[in-house]
Amino acid sequence: MDMTRRTLLAALGATTGAVALAGKGLAAGPDMPAWQIGYANAPADGFAPTAMDLVSGRLPDGFRGSFYRNGPGWFRYGDDVLGHWFDGDGMVQQIAFGDGKAIHSGRFVQTNKHISEQEAGRFRAAGFGSAGDPTYPIMSGDDVNAANTSVLMMGGELMALWEGGSPVAMDPATLETKGPHALRDDLKGMPFLAHPKVEPNGTIWNLGVAGTRVIIYKVAATGALDTYELIDIGKASYIHDWAMTERHLIIIAQPWIMTRNIPPFVNSLEWRPEEGLELIIIDKDDFSSRRSVTVDAHAFYHTGAAWDDAAGTIHIDIALYDQPFLGEGGATNLMKGEFDPAEDEAHSTLSRIIVPTSGAARIEKTDVDGEFPVVHPQFHGLERRLTALVGGNTPGRPGARRVSTMDWKTGTARHFDYGPDRIPEEHLFVAKPGGQTEADAWLVSSALNIKTLRTEIHILDVADVSAGPIATFAARYAWPLGFHGTFAPA
Amino acid sequence: MIRTALHLSAVVAGALLSSCAVVADAETAATTDTASLTITLDGIANPTGTIRLGVFAGEEDYSNGGGITGANVTVDEDTETVTIEGLAPGEYGIKLYHDVDDDGDMDTNPFGMPTEPFGFSNNARGRFGPAKWDAARFEVTAGENTHAITVGG
Repeated sequence: MDMTRRTLLAALGATTGAVALAGKGLAAGPDMPAWQIGYANAPADGFAPTAMDLVSGRLPDGFRGSFYRNGPGWFRYGDDVLGHWFDGDGMVQQIAFGDGKAIHSGRFVQTNKHISEQEAGRFRAAGFGSAGDPTYPIMSGDDVNAANTSVLMMGGELMALWEGGSPVAMDPATLETKGPHALRDDLKGMPFLAHPKVEPNGTIWNLGVAGTRVIIYKVAATGALDTYELIDIGKASYIHDWAMTERHLIIIAQPWIMTRNIPPFVNSLEWRPEEGLELIIIDKDDFSSRRSVTVDAHAFYHTGAAWDDAAGTIHIDIALYDQPFLGEGGATNLMKGEFDPAEDEAHSTLSRIIVPTSGAARIEKTDVDGEFPVVHPQFHGLERRLTALVGGNTPGRPGARRVSTMDWKTGTARHFDYGPDRIPEEHLFVAKPGGQTEADAWLVSSALNIKTLRTEIHILDVADVSAGPIATFAARYAWPLGFHGTFAPA
Repeated sequence: MIRTALHLSAVVAGALLSSCAVVADAETAATTDTASLTITLDGIANPTGTIRLGVFAGEEDYSNGGGITGANVTVDEDTETVTIEGLAPGEYGIKLYHDVDDDGDMDTNPFGMPTEPFGFSNNARGRFGPAKWDAARFEVTAGENTHAITVGG
């Protein structure tokens, strides 16, 4: 029995004797709109494993494994609201699926920041949008590591990822924090982005960034470091995500540039559209073989994935904004239950950047808006048809309402609209057992239902996304909205 | 954010590295042997290698100077002690690092952040750099003095 299967069985069995936690979940603040529940403090001691209610459909045969998602889970101490949504302490949610059941649990990542602030009962660490307490000691990136952005299975451990600190190792069955993970003793404390790229064979690639310097990591499927390389890209772009093909690593340097070394970090970012959006393309087999191309200035947080076609042209799918979104001052209002109508207008467009082997690169925009683009993990870096993302908006509240799949071959998208009462999150592809194509898969996601004030799990069939969920489970409570996740099949 | 922390952590390393150079060069040359200082180094995670510490006299020396003396303490246990003799009574600060692999340098990761334990008197900790004098200063009086620093790992 492999590790993930043991982990899953442990998780599925963990509810034995557990009581339903009525009233344990979140509540929106007084006089706040219902959606604010997605930005309200989670219970400090987490969510004990609890079976979710099957609301409709049934768990498909063969759907076994654990869905993990990370996101900020702590936003205020008394009246003191965090400086930016991105600075909330990481809380990892797990939904273990098997035997027709879905079991939810959640734990805060026990970072230095979280432990210190919980003890003090106030915010102390500096962050993306937080100035921090001047007396809070910062001896390394891990003293301000919120570990709140994504998760990665690496070497049998679940890593809670941020972008300026170490991966933080957790037990994938119990979500117990083990501590910061060093890929090697001499790499202790090195930053590791929250967007590692995993080849279908399990090889993990990732970047870490400090100013103009970038470290490239190549990690074997076992979790052992294969190699690393340091390069200087010449500009201190804000790098949250990047792209990988079968043969190339692509660093995408947006013209949102860090200009000084004083927290909060976001206030140091300057938008310089005249510099364009630069792509630095690096050969995976020879890091010294690099070229650079520039396209029209755009901001972005996330790519889907990329591939090389037979002619050597690189195709990158990416959610592009005309200018930075959720920057300075951004997202603090969400935690206060306030929504800026201007954000109804702000959205990203699913686009492709096409980079031929020579000549000008270009951007091709689709008519699909959205964020959190994802692809089938068995096709990451390979030529493929599908990208899934969430988009659409409901006036007056944050969050998406729709999931879409774009078929790059036909140029058409399919959509499912969750309606005004649900905020769907990043959807993940889950391969069907024995599936051969990208469409032989399910999509799984959480969604916050702001009418029932419960968090739901939805499973859709990729082959018929427009038909909507084939299974829906609901917790008897809500948990905070999150960012990125992973699915560990068992 | 983090990049800030990383960048400035390089400063910690720089400051500590320079203090180490001092340790290597320092002569225990004090002649006014009116005070001794016994330093307890506890919480050592890896009982091997050498703890290299520098003693700084006053704010100017601590912040910008090279230290007046120091010690290289061979580590065999999770707690070690070292006594510095011949100090003049006054205010001092200590910077140290644990040279676990005994290569004579404070090891750093590729972005310049220390990968070996380091510390300051009063167990003071810095923010984007070494602990400041005001946090690390302590009084040495005539006769015997003790001071404890947790090295960690």
